[in-house]
Amino acid sequence: MQLSLGKYLSYLLRVAAYLRRYLSYLIGIAASLAVFSVILLTFGYNPITSIAGLVSGSFGSTFLASETFVLMAPLLLAALAFLVAFKARFYNIGVEGQIYIGALFAYLVGSKLGSFPSVAAIPLVLIAAAGGGILWLALPLLMRIKLQVNEIFPTLVMNFVALDVVNWLTAGPIKDPNSGNLQTPILPRSTWLPDLIPGTRFNLGILIAVIVAIGVFFVLYKTVLGYEIRATGVNPRAAKSGGVSISRSILAVGLISGGMAGLAGMVVVNGAEHLLAQNFSPGYGYQGIAVAALGAFHPLGSLIASVFYSALSIGGESLQSSAAAIPIELIYVLQAIIVLSVLIVQRWLGDRENRRR
Amino acid sequence: MLALGDLVISILASSLTLTMPILFASIGEVYAERSGVLNMGIEGIMGLSALVSLWVTFATGSYLYGLLAAMVAGASMGVLHSFVAVKIGINQLIAGLLIYSLSIGIADFVYRTLTATSFPVVRPLPPVHIPFLSDLPAVGPILFSQNILVYASFAVAIVFGLILYKTTWGLEIRAVGENPEASDAAGINVNRVRYLCVILGAVLAGVAGASLVLGYLGLYNAGDTLVAGRGWIAIVVVIFAGWSPYKAIAGSWLFGLGYSIAATFIGSGVFSSLGPGAGYFLLAIPYIFAIIFIIIFHRGTKSPSSLTIPYKRK
Repeated sequence: MQLSLGKYLSYLLRVAAYLRRYLSYLIGIAASLAVFSVILLTFGYNPITSIAGLVSGSFGSTFLASETFVLMAPLLLAALAFLVAFKARFYNIGVEGQIYIGALFAYLVGSKLGSFPSVAAIPLVLIAAAGGGILWLALPLLMRIKLQVNEIFPTLVMNFVALDVVNWLTAGPIKDPNSGNLQTPILPRSTWLPDLIPGTRFNLGILIAVIVAIGVFFVLYKTVLGYEIRATGVNPRAAKSGGVSISRSILAVGLISGGMAGLAGMVVVNGAEHLLAQNFSPGYGYQGIAVAALGAFHPLGSLIASVFYSALSIGGESLQSSAAAIPIELIYVLQAIIVLSVLIVQRWLGDRENRRR
Repeated sequence: MLALGDLVISILASSLTLTMPILFASIGEVYAERSGVLNMGIEGIMGLSALVSLWVTFATGSYLYGLLAAMVAGASMGVLHSFVAVKIGINQLIAGLLIYSLSIGIADFVYRTLTATSFPVVRPLPPVHIPFLSDLPAVGPILFSQNILVYASFAVAIVFGLILYKTTWGLEIRAVGENPEASDAAGINVNRVRYLCVILGAVLAGVAGASLVLGYLGLYNAGDTLVAGRGWIAIVVVIFAGWSPYKAIAGSWLFGLGYSIAATFIGSGVFSSLGPGAGYFLLAIPYIFAIIFIIIFHRGTKSPSSLTIPYKRK
């Protein structure tokens, strides 16, 4: 053997140190599944078949896997929208509302583009959706930059206004008169994001979300702007004396964040559903915050977290309609427990690390 | 013009009923935030305790037991939130949102399990007519013919205002929120004050949820459509009220009035000339007011200095 024992040990230690970063996920998820199993047993469900059912219900077939990714797209974009702002300590709680307005703009513009070919229509719809999201964040953003008003309040409030606007329009002015549901007519086919796997809803929107995630990673970690954004978040005072314009960082993250939230609405409207329905969002904006937290506020971490989170949701829906008939609400509880546990363990391990130093 | 007068009286009277849950919740949130802890989970805590109050009242026939059970449910979530946000110190915004989805998930699961065998409803508490005062024209039906929880919500706001501004406890809470280091140096147990305030806030959110069921609707709806944003509104009210329990009365009432006007007009045909669905827009009016208010008066309001910052002894 050429490899000496010393080298071998040091290599093992390096692997161990690397894996330690992910230890919190292992412990957190294992602990959550243990708690979840106890809950299931209490209510007379079989934990082993249930957890196996979550896996097969989310990735067990091409159809189920494609639905998992269909759900992932808006969740990932919502998570990115929150996290990019969070990096500069700008708390955009208004992603949900920006998703609704992005979806509205995507519908309004898309419905006018029936005579356009897809190559022209889809980019226009993309721009409109991003613009809608940015528009909805503009007031809170200006209030923060010009008046130093904390953004949590205005962004949160704008969610309700967005919901009321979309509820109003989908119940009246743009409602499909031939439908009993509160929704618009179907969009012209040229504005649909094309399906990438025939026979499923796996569409271009999923690819867009992944590309955006990689793009956000690149901007945050490989550009000067990204460096300034992160510096603003870590220590605004130090960043300022280092020549970083705080307002410029906040403005930049606001524009990126609102734009991505708008895109999240568009991938649902033009990608998955092909129309705008009242209350179409099951809370993508709020779930996106959980996903971003689970992904350690890293764009690629959020990519993995969004697949995991969506798999739980789709797996949960499958379980609910399967013979086991486990209510979906238990899966929502599981999702919250997992994120909470991972965050607690992360913090706990971090504190131990700090004490040792 | 008699009909218009009656309409105004009925809107104002129901505005106070609709103020009640928001007021309870916002007083609780004032305490949590004054001690330095943001609780974004109260929407969920309200939903969970609303369900618990309905269930217990339906099963026992006692409104008091329902209310107490809701307070216990609120306190349990408060203990969890204070553990996560104060002891462990994870980001308070994230912690609160997770408490929200956890609470709603539990509540909806229990509701689904319950409705498999029965359909729990309770009759909302009857109005308590205050002798003589309730006979006064206009003022009587508006102010003095409400149910007991409505009166209680205003009493709670005033009492908790007095505690916050006139007692040593209140001083300690405000000190902890403004300057935890100095409070610690002065011998105050910072994190103990925070635990108590967070749990108290969650208990009041529990009362808020119970008041929505026992004092107003008498039933539960899954998917957070019962509380339907009132918990988020309470957080808005706290900022709007500049972290003062007294001003929270006015802030909560503004939203109660908005809800009341919207409910009246959505039910009537007044907005049919604007087309179907236009009534929804009325629901947005209180929010728009709130934003304009903040733009105009933002200099007058300042959050507690240590809000959202966990305290660790150096």
